[in-house]
Amino acid sequence: MRWSLVGFVLRRVRSSLRQLLWSHLLTAGIMAMTLFVFGGFMLLETNLQKLLKGWGDQIQITAYLSNDMAADDVRDLIQRVQAMAEVERVRHTSQEQAWRDFQAALGTQSGLLDGLPREVLPASIDISLRPSYRDGPTVEPLAERLNKENGIASVEYPQEWIERLGLIVLVLEWIKWILAGVLFIATFFIVGSTIKLAVLARQDEVEIMQLIGASEELIQAPFVIEGMIQGLAGGALAIAGLGVAYALLQSEVAKMAGLFAPLDELRFLNLTSLGLLLGTGWLLGAVGSLVSLRRFLRTWHASSARA
Amino acid sequence: MIQLFHVGKTYPPDYRALTDINLEIPAGELVFIVGASGAGKSTLLKLLFREEEPSTGQILIAGKNVARLNRRGVARLRRTIGLVFQECKLLSSLTALQNVALAAEALGVSPRVSRIKAYQLLRELGLRERYDAKPLALSAGERQRVAIARALINEPTLVLADEPTGNLDADTADEIMRLLLRMRDRGATVIIATHDYGIIERYGTRVVSLRRGVVADHGIWSPTEGH
Repeated sequence: MRWSLVGFVLRRVRSSLRQLLWSHLLTAGIMAMTLFVFGGFMLLETNLQKLLKGWGDQIQITAYLSNDMAADDVRDLIQRVQAMAEVERVRHTSQEQAWRDFQAALGTQSGLLDGLPREVLPASIDISLRPSYRDGPTVEPLAERLNKENGIASVEYPQEWIERLGLIVLVLEWIKWILAGVLFIATFFIVGSTIKLAVLARQDEVEIMQLIGASEELIQAPFVIEGMIQGLAGGALAIAGLGVAYALLQSEVAKMAGLFAPLDELRFLNLTSLGLLLGTGWLLGAVGSLVSLRRFLRTWHASSARA
Repeated sequence: MIQLFHVGKTYPPDYRALTDINLEIPAGELVFIVGASGAGKSTLLKLLFREEEPSTGQILIAGKNVARLNRRGVARLRRTIGLVFQECKLLSSLTALQNVALAAEALGVSPRVSRIKAYQLLRELGLRERYDAKPLALSAGERQRVAIARALINEPTLVLADEPTGNLDADTADEIMRLLLRMRDRGATVIIATHDYGIIERYGTRVVSLRRGVVADHGIWSPTEGH
């Protein structure tokens, strides 16, 4: 496209934004509403992931150590385990510490331990796993490998809990993709219909441009650029709306009401998600405009041919 | 040169708007297509600017088969054609000057040059004082003159006018006709579809008469001797 035509397209966009301001605002508003729902879902998903991560952090393998291990051997063992790819961190609990922990756990009934030797509880290492290794098929062979390490007497891990968590993660992943798909398609159709109305309002312009011999690209370009601007504006409005909703949930009022105590730990969308929301708006605006305009042109050609 | 060979147009299911039209219109000629409503005048013009495709036959404009043009080809063809309709088809949000300049700007002419050309044309058409008015503030005759200015701004080699004087009083209709004749004198081929025989009597020239989609008569009209 020649520069003079680029200028022409930009002038058409500017003039349209000025003359049809309310129509553009309406389209951007509807896009903002649908993107708000989409963003709300992303926000929910982000916080669910955080919750799942919290649960995942609790998955640990406990390896009980032989009573006769020297301090150097324990240090070597910890280093070897720490070097394993699946392992995030290792925490050592000495026999003395294990005794104190058990006493504390028994609370008022700690007297039951009177008379028992302190060596009755073994020293152990608690092994936390990296997030991508917190599933049954990884934990089981790792536990077996640990069992074969010198100095480890036995290994324990919450097998049932790991399986349950794995199932929860899988179900949530599916729900996430199904909801995302449904929301995206719904958003696309709502935005498409809104843009179609905007195009219908400007059919005279399209018709005249065709009659004077303007190329298809030149006819479509202003609509696509306007769609992008509407999409970006819709995305920005949706983010602003989500920010307000997030702030309200975390406000002092909510805390005072005691309704949302756990929401103290809510997290807002990260930069990537915000970029994704803006990008989705931009893409929806551009593609929605192009598809609506092309569909309109096809219908218009067919109806004018019948006239 | 415009040539039509056995051109027919049938609309579904089986309405025959045009049947076996054979015509040859040399460049630089002014031709009236006359006939009652439904005779096929507008359909013939639509075939010429490829708004529609013929069901049968061939249309050649400057040697090119119009039916075989792709979308880009159609756009290129229309850049050489100036179109004038009875309903004017002006954008109500733009001024007269902007409406005319739009046609040049859309073909890559700079805004400044487009506006100068548009202003000159409007001045030539007697709209010097009305260039800044929007279509709703213009009279029917003024709107038609703006539409003609828009059709002429890209200096077309072919002007197609569909009932350009319909709804206009006799004086304004004469004014419009004089403009179209001026276009012919500048070398453009001008084809006017009309059912206004009064205009033909006053501006006698080549006339193609259509009746129910068929060429009923074809010849030169002389204002003094008749057909």
